Amino acid sequence: MTDSSTVDATLRALLADVLGLGEARAAALTEDSGLFGELPEFDSMAVATVLTEMEDRLGILIDDDEIDGEIFETYGNLLAFSRHKVAG
Amino acid sequence: MTEHILRITPAGTPRATILIVPPLFEEANRTRRTLVLAMRALAAAGFSALLPDLPGQNESLIPLAEVDLQRWQDALSGIVSATDGPVIVASVRGGALIDHRARAAAWWRLAPVGGASLLRTLMRARINADREAGANSSLESLQETARSGDLLLAGNLLSAAMTAQLGIAEPQSVAPLRSVALGADGVAGTPLWLRAEPGEDAAMAAAIAADIAAWSKTCGTS
Repeated sequence: MTDSSTVDATLRALLADVLGLGEARAAALTEDSGLFGELPEFDSMAVATVLTEMEDRLGILIDDDEIDGEIFETYGNLLAFSRHKVAG
Repeated sequence: MTEHILRITPAGTPRATILIVPPLFEEANRTRRTLVLAMRALAAAGFSALLPDLPGQNESLIPLAEVDLQRWQDALSGIVSATDGPVIVASVRGGALIDHRARAAAWWRLAPVGGASLLRTLMRARINADREAGANSSLESLQETARSGDLLLAGNLLSAAMTAQLGIAEPQSVAPLRSVALGADGVAGTPLWLRAEPGEDAAMAAAIAADIAAWSKTCGTS
């Protein structure tokens, strides 16, 4: 049910909720937009919140062994990881 | 020890008392301002609104490591017993895990959440912080530590009893209950409890107060 564009929309809404980005900033995220280390709001607690919300909203389970720093480097990386998980 | 309770009261005799049970841990800070705005709106509508400090939280002098969900439930029961007139318990997120033992006239819950989800996020924050510091921890190693003693998670020192109870806690059935989610058919607003930096939402506060006031009328408590 969760297709590729839905994953994108879900992920943008989730980042807007956790980071308080507002709709405009969330919509303006590109594949190259930096996340962890670039957005000051994106600390280790925010990363944890994003992971748990991804599980809830995308209906996936994330093993913490799968998580490395690269996933949160850019929006494109996070989107690719999410799509991969949703596709199973 | 008596904990501080923020009380916002109307002029004259209140229609009923609304006991706000805040979300747990950091989520309480992220939502406090909006909840207090909702309390002001409730007082303006004739209700007495209470926001207690849970033992070990906010201005409490009790160390967090000495409390567990059971103790929070006892504290809320005590506040309801000591209050004259009908009390509606209004809990938000993890507050719904500790609101069922109070002898309230009615319950209202906003976006209730299971304890396992809250614990998972706290443990992940610890794992992320450890990783940044060059140390290695995992959900398994943290769970192992939690079984035998206190565990520090995102600034919260939690006892073995607390992590064990939190890991399996689910909102319990109570009646009469109105449980609302965020959204068009619930309370319009954003999940401020997830926000990395505390925000406020006046429109959401007004919506919370209006929904609680309507529910109070439906159950005949005011």
